[in-house]
Amino acid sequence: MEESPLHQFELQRWVPISIGGLDLSINKAVVFMWVVIAVAAVLMVMAGSSRKLVPGKLQSLAEMMVDFIRTMIMETMGKEGMRFFPLVATLFVFILFSNYIGLIPGAYTVTSQIIVTAAFSFLVYGISLVVGFSLHGVKFLGILVPPGTPGWLVPLMIPIEIISQIARPISLAVRLFANMTAGHVMLAVLFGLTISGGLLVGWLPFVFTVAIYLLEFGIAFIQAYIFTILTCVYLGDAFHLHGHEEHAH
Amino acid sequence: MPQFEPDFFSSLIFWEVISFGILLFVLYKYAFPGILSALEEREKKIKDSLDQAEQHRSEAERRLKEYEAKLNAAGKEAEAILVAAKERAQRLLDENEQRLTAEAERIKGDATRQIDQERRKALQDIRAQTTELALMVAEKVVQRSLTEADQRRFADEALEALSKSQPR
Repeated sequence: MEESPLHQFELQRWVPISIGGLDLSINKAVVFMWVVIAVAAVLMVMAGSSRKLVPGKLQSLAEMMVDFIRTMIMETMGKEGMRFFPLVATLFVFILFSNYIGLIPGAYTVTSQIIVTAAFSFLVYGISLVVGFSLHGVKFLGILVPPGTPGWLVPLMIPIEIISQIARPISLAVRLFANMTAGHVMLAVLFGLTISGGLLVGWLPFVFTVAIYLLEFGIAFIQAYIFTILTCVYLGDAFHLHGHEEHAH
Repeated sequence: MPQFEPDFFSSLIFWEVISFGILLFVLYKYAFPGILSALEEREKKIKDSLDQAEQHRSEAERRLKEYEAKLNAAGKEAEAILVAAKERAQRLLDENEQRLTAEAERIKGDATRQIDQERRKALQDIRAQTTELALMVAEKVVQRSLTEADQRRFADEALEALSKSQPR
C-alpha cells in the first residue's frame, strides 16, 4: 500500500467543537499540544522545586536550559530584557518539547503546522512592535533607516527595510515549519522505501532513516534555538533601536 | 500540503493560545522562580567561595612574608651572637695566654733568684770548710817549724790561690 509522505500531517476532527461558527474541534495536533505542555510543565516544575545546591540530572538539565536562555537574553537585550524571560523561555520550552515529542514515532509534530509557527512568530513580532513604539514612540519608525545611511539613499532604504521587516515574522514561521515538515517527510519517504524495498535493498534506506533520525534530534534543538534567539534579536532591536547595532559592531 | 488547508487553522490557533497560556502561567509561577533562584544562589555561592579563597590566599601570603621576615631576622641575630661569642672567646684566649706567660716569667725569675742564692750560700760554705781543712792539714804538716804568724800567712795565701782558681 502506497502512502503519501504528507499523509502524516493530515488531521481529522476527533471531537468536533464549534462555538459561534468557529471550528474549535479537537484533533491530533491539539492533543499533542496538551501532551507537550503536560510533559514540559511536569518536568520543569519538578526541576524547579528541587533547588539543590548540587543539582541532580533533571535539575541540571533545566538549569542549563534556563541559563542558556538567560545568557541569550542578556547578550541580545541586556539586563532589562529579563522582563521577557518568562515569554522567551516558555516559547523555547514549548518549541523544543514539540520538536522532540514529534520525533517519537506515531506522535504529531505540533511545529510542523505552519499556522502554529506563524502564530508564535506574529506574536513575537507583534510584541516587538508594541515594545518599540511604547518605548520610542514615532521615532521607532527610524528602524526603517539604518544608522549611517546617506540622505539620498533614504527613499530607497525605506522600502527595502519595510520588506525586511515584513520578512521577519514570515521567515521565522516558515523556517521552523519547513524544517520540521521536511525532516518528517524525508523520514517518511526513506522509511517507505525501506518497507517497499524489502530485505534485499531495504537496508540502505533504513540506514539513512536512522541517520536522518539522529540528525533530526540536532535539528529539533537547533530550530528551537534559532526561533528563540531571533525572538531575542527582534525584541532587542525594539528595545535599543540602532543602539544594538552599535553594540554588535 | 495538508498544513496549508485552512480547515483547522481556527482550532489550532485557539488551542495553541490556550496551551501556550497555560504553560506560560505554570512555568512562570512554579518553575522559573525556583530554577532561577537556584542558579543565582549557586552563582552567589561560587562567587563567595572564590572570594573567600582569594582572601585566604592573600592572608596566607601575608603570613608567609611575615614568617620569612622573622626567619631572616632570627638568622641575622644568630650570626651576630656567633660573631660576638667568637670575639669573646678570642679575647679570653688572648688574656689567658698573656696571664700564663707573665706567670711563667715570674716563676722562672723566682727560680733563678733562688738558685743564685743557693749557689752563693754553697760557695760560702765551701770556702769556710776549705779554710778549716787547709788549716788542719797545714797544722799537721808544719806544726813545729812554723810560728803562729807564719801559719796565718800561709793559710791566707792558700785561700787567695783557691779563690783565684775558682772565680765563681
